[in-house]
Amino acid sequence: MTQNPFQRKIVIFFLVALLHASSTNALDFKAYGFIQPESSIYINGDGRHGQDNYNASLFGKGTFVSYLQDGDAKFTISAIGRFDQSDDELRYLDFQKFKYEYYFDDITLKVGNEIVFWGVNETFNIVDIINQSNLAEDIAGTKKLGQPMASISYSQDYGKFDIYLMPYFRERPFSGKEGRPRLLFEVDKNSITYESSAKKRKMDFALRYSTVIDDFDIGLSHFYGNNRTPVLSPNPLTLKFDSHYPVLSQTGVDIQATKGPWLYKLETVSAKEGSERHLGAAGGIEYTYYGIRNTQSDLGVIVEYAFDDRNDNPFNNEGIIGLRWSMNDVKSSSLLAGYLLDMRGNSNRFQAEFEQRINDNLKLFLDLSLNGSIDGTDFTHQFKEDSQITIKVAKYY
Amino acid sequence: MKNIILVLIILIGTKLSIAESLEEKGYNIAKLSYESGRGFTDMISDQLMILIDPKGNKVTREISAKSLENLDPDDGDKTITYFETPKDVEGTVMLSHTHINEDDDQWLYLPALTRVKRISSSNKSGSFMGSEVAFEDFSAGDYRKYKWKYIGEEVYEGDLCYVLESYPIYENSGYTRRVGLTDELLRARKIDFYDRKGELLKTVFFENYNLYEDKIWMADSMKVENHQNKNATIFQWQNRKLNIGLDKKDFEKSSLMRLAD
Repeated sequence: MTQNPFQRKIVIFFLVALLHASSTNALDFKAYGFIQPESSIYINGDGRHGQDNYNASLFGKGTFVSYLQDGDAKFTISAIGRFDQSDDELRYLDFQKFKYEYYFDDITLKVGNEIVFWGVNETFNIVDIINQSNLAEDIAGTKKLGQPMASISYSQDYGKFDIYLMPYFRERPFSGKEGRPRLLFEVDKNSITYESSAKKRKMDFALRYSTVIDDFDIGLSHFYGNNRTPVLSPNPLTLKFDSHYPVLSQTGVDIQATKGPWLYKLETVSAKEGSERHLGAAGGIEYTYYGIRNTQSDLGVIVEYAFDDRNDNPFNNEGIIGLRWSMNDVKSSSLLAGYLLDMRGNSNRFQAEFEQRINDNLKLFLDLSLNGSIDGTDFTHQFKEDSQITIKVAKYY
Repeated sequence: MKNIILVLIILIGTKLSIAESLEEKGYNIAKLSYESGRGFTDMISDQLMILIDPKGNKVTREISAKSLENLDPDDGDKTITYFETPKDVEGTVMLSHTHINEDDDQWLYLPALTRVKRISSSNKSGSFMGSEVAFEDFSAGDYRKYKWKYIGEEVYEGDLCYVLESYPIYENSGYTRRVGLTDELLRARKIDFYDRKGELLKTVFFENYNLYEDKIWMADSMKVENHQNKNATIFQWQNRKLNIGLDKKDFEKSSLMRLAD
């Protein structure tokens, strides 16, 4: 929070507003969260940059939701934080949600930090653009940072329109020196440039129309603002990466068809950075077998493919085949396993996540990430020695 | 002339009622029973689910739900379910637009992923939260989902009941046959469920009936005994309120996030 004066102002504003609300009304709220110790073992030994072959970390999340003004308004805080043994960049607190919403009949007004997800795919979320990804948490970019915004939604029978104004940009966090996996060089936080002269104060803008027509969930979106993904270039003087954030104009379409046990998914984007336009498409099929072998278990098979017409894009020709096994037992045991393949080279990776409830307040997670043969030209080559097993136990409150 | 028509109508009517087959009689009782439970417009309730294993170990799950009655005779109700416990799923919200003999439309908000997913609902015969209750059991009283047959009468807990057999129409149903008892107040009291192999799977007991709005009997407890795996589930409704003026817009995908974090 300290490096983010804009957010600090918002936090103070909300705390004052909340105190005001709670002194005038009885506060009706829900609060819940968890603390999660984690422990990782790197099975190829020490890392390429001399990182340790063992790491411990403590992760936590807390959520507070309160309905105000007779249920016409909602105030939410949802914060995550981590204290990592090795990586400085994984010692943080982030307000994923810190927002006030007011509901009119067809209109919702919202101000504050929010996580907004767009898209339908399991793996290749190419339409999703509102929130910055925390790459120190996860190289796939699925872990996000809360985005400060003001938004308005208008709902009708024929669909919903959302308009987002984002007055403050958040730079992408990358793993630090001791992080695993990490890039070849550190990303220099003191050498960041922007195409926009307003830099991180540029007012980013987004618009989305979404609707449901029978078995189809459809979204059309447009984003104009600082690209969340920087261009990294090695600086021969500092031996670190300099980052540059271009301005991005991106139009996206996402469609899911739900036909019985079959899900068909497609996301496409047409994007312009500077004078260059690129196209991307990603989609797939998910099929679920219910009650396999006369048990309560379900087995889902997921196949997804991503294409991008830029040759230097890491996901320009990538596929994944995954299995999702849900036991549907009292412990909600489940296993998600995926084999990720770069079709251009011979690179492949295997990932698996198992979870099982231990009791009403405890849950066990086991994550496995194995790097197979990785092509020297693939950007994941620098993570080749970072195959790992992570055990996590969450204690819920 | 008018009198002749009237006589004819009465004659035909009488003849029809005499000829009412066991199937028609079963169907008519089931339809009346279903209709006696309608007219709630909308409903909110807290639900407590107790899962009991063969050794008697118990775990408890809590959810709260809203539902909206659909007056369209060819379509089902809409519900929103908010999961409170187990704590690892707290904040999960599920929206269902139910349909009578086809898959429902279902959306799930998962706080861990902070995203709304449209999910497949072909698993109507699947377990609800690891319990002995299947998704399709929540609409076990909907006469439109079955073919019916009147079997006879039987005294159950001192009350005279109709014995009705029913056969699911929905192709993905987990059952082939049900045998149920419906009392003279048209309340379902007990149903035996037979699995796809035709073997007795479970018995559901509807208990703790209360009269709502002076006209609708609703069971505030449902006990499920699985005869095959010997597990049991008790489902209890609490703080049930009917006709509170919920808006149909609250039951659309676009307003799902109003209930979520």
